[in-house]
Amino acid sequence: MSVPPKTISFGKYTKHIPPGIPSAVQKATAKFWTSREARVAELPQWEDLRRAASDIRLHTLRHLDAYLERFTDRFAGAGGRIHWAGDAEAARAAVLGLAAEKNVKTAVKVKSMATEEIGLNRALQSAGVEVWETDLGEFIAQLAGVGPSHIIVPAVHMTKEEIAGLFREKLGVDAPADPTELAAIARKILREKFLAADMGISGANFLVAETGALVTVTNEGNGRMCTTLPNLHVAVVAIDKIVPDWESLAVLLKLLARSATGQKLSAYTSFITGPGRSPDEGGPGEMHLVLLDDGRSRILADPGAIETLKCIRCGCCLNVCPVYKNVGGFAYGWFISGPTGAMFTPQILGAKTGRELPFASTLCGACNDVCPVKIPVSDILLYLRGRVVEGDAVEGPAAPPLIRAGARIGALALGTSWIYRSGAALMRSLLSPFGRDGWLNTLPPPVDRWTRVRPFPLFKSRFRKWWAGRDAAGPAGHAPFENKTRDGGKS
Amino acid sequence: MKPDQVKNSVLNSVRLSLGRRPGDPVAERPPAPPFRKAGNPESEIALFLKEVAALSGSAKRVNEETLESSLEDLVQSEGVKKAVLGRTDDLAGLNLEEKLKALGVEITPQGAGKHALARCDLGITGADFALPETGTLGLLASPDCPRAVSLLPRVHLAVVRPSSFRPDLDRVFLEAMDRRYLVFITGPSRTADIELTVTLGVHGPKSLHVWVV
Repeated sequence: MSVPPKTISFGKYTKHIPPGIPSAVQKATAKFWTSREARVAELPQWEDLRRAASDIRLHTLRHLDAYLERFTDRFAGAGGRIHWAGDAEAARAAVLGLAAEKNVKTAVKVKSMATEEIGLNRALQSAGVEVWETDLGEFIAQLAGVGPSHIIVPAVHMTKEEIAGLFREKLGVDAPADPTELAAIARKILREKFLAADMGISGANFLVAETGALVTVTNEGNGRMCTTLPNLHVAVVAIDKIVPDWESLAVLLKLLARSATGQKLSAYTSFITGPGRSPDEGGPGEMHLVLLDDGRSRILADPGAIETLKCIRCGCCLNVCPVYKNVGGFAYGWFISGPTGAMFTPQILGAKTGRELPFASTLCGACNDVCPVKIPVSDILLYLRGRVVEGDAVEGPAAPPLIRAGARIGALALGTSWIYRSGAALMRSLLSPFGRDGWLNTLPPPVDRWTRVRPFPLFKSRFRKWWAGRDAAGPAGHAPFENKTRDGGKS
Repeated sequence: MKPDQVKNSVLNSVRLSLGRRPGDPVAERPPAPPFRKAGNPESEIALFLKEVAALSGSAKRVNEETLESSLEDLVQSEGVKKAVLGRTDDLAGLNLEEKLKALGVEITPQGAGKHALARCDLGITGADFALPETGTLGLLASPDCPRAVSLLPRVHLAVVRPSSFRPDLDRVFLEAMDRRYLVFITGPSRTADIELTVTLGVHGPKSLHVWVV
């Protein structure tokens, strides 16, 4: 699931959405959204925080080289080791290398977008390492053999009965269909894994350049377990997670949990600067960080898209998106879904592979309005639609030659006055015999996609004629379909 | 490629995209909005207790006289047989260890390691910081109070002194940024991953008790 797909067929998937997905997803999004609204209402400076967070994120991206250098110096100074990775393969190789070097048999994992992006689980399992996802939802998704369907609640698409059945089948335990009991079973099994694991794998929500600290946010406590108990801690983090300093971090933390789940802060936020100092204090003896680029540095060059990387992955845009709420996370084809996924995936995998995603949006802009770091999501999606036709640096143009030829012919026809005029006259005379009460109910293929869902209006008057006569009609002019009544009432 | 080459290739592609050269200056970081100011000490404590309670933690004020009976209640209601305590300054002078032993609770040394700590029913820590607005505890790690004391036992009791209160995150971070490990605890471990039903204690402590002494 987390291996990058060859093509993403959003349209194909959405024709066969499993029953139950929209209602389950909408239950989650409604719950998060209601809580988020309450938290935001409590905080009069919410808009100031959003503005500051947006400015700080963009500032960081524009000086990312300097902040990355500062961060890596401080992180190494605190005793951590950095592994730079240009792409997913290099990142997997770094983790696999460490696992082999330290003879790792069992690894425990915190939910992490970066490790989903590089398909780490499968790689580790192929190398003979037993990997346990420890976030409850992610654990369930792992047992079911699927990826996350929502950033915050990965198994939101499953009912408690389905989960109980899964536990019985995969874990061989007697599991009642009760959330508390199911959580208790997972706690017991995973507690043993935490204590026995040789390696803890995490992502990070933020990396603080000022001191080299890594910040993780969880609700269950599995993040603390994974970064505290095994003797080896490996974090896989993308380069855009850098924040300049602790004051910036304070601003972003105020926005993150409130936007994600409607909590003021998540239950646990860990601030880790290097490995544990001594066995007495606890904490891993070694801490490694795999810093992942995977196409992000390319996005930095593009003024139309750079703001994509401001994202702090709160998932708030999913919760308001009319498209996401009706199709769920799997439709987006990769580890990240919703508006932020539609924006991110085509830029990493290429305009051809992700060509349907910029269109997986109504451009209603609800995501723009709620984004805690003010990403103009719908503007970026619109911009990416252009790139689907014109091509990008990853894959070149994605539109089939016929569409591109059609677009050229269209441009020629619309740009040349005589072709346009004679074409319009031809259309009028061809269509008018078929109309009924001013509407056409069917059109021939390939233009029948319009009339399959709604009738097509016949032209009521000629635009050019109306345009030429509009001065006589009055200073403001009139819309052509109002001509008759207005003319009739003219003094 | 050698590690340094990879580092340089990533940094170079970032610089190329941004049109920057090594050593180019960094502009001033855009300002943060003003942070929260402290109310009077009494109202800060009241707000803190209210927020912890709203998160399903049990929160109350305890004084030297009520400490013993509160401890007895806790040991009984949570069925505590084994406990581990931090040795930090804010806990010193409360004689918690003697009081627990008198209640028949076995004490595990704080440096006994993860397996021993995981067998404890109760972990007692102080709190280096308390944030009233969010009901958050801030704990630094030290050999006197290892990271796992507030993590592995089934029940976590945090004893908070009024001197630990800070109005907002910025103040905590100013004091803690040079430390190697800080954790914020905002209510007990929780999940809503199965049908959005809130379940407490999925991995971390199932219950959180906060006493302001």
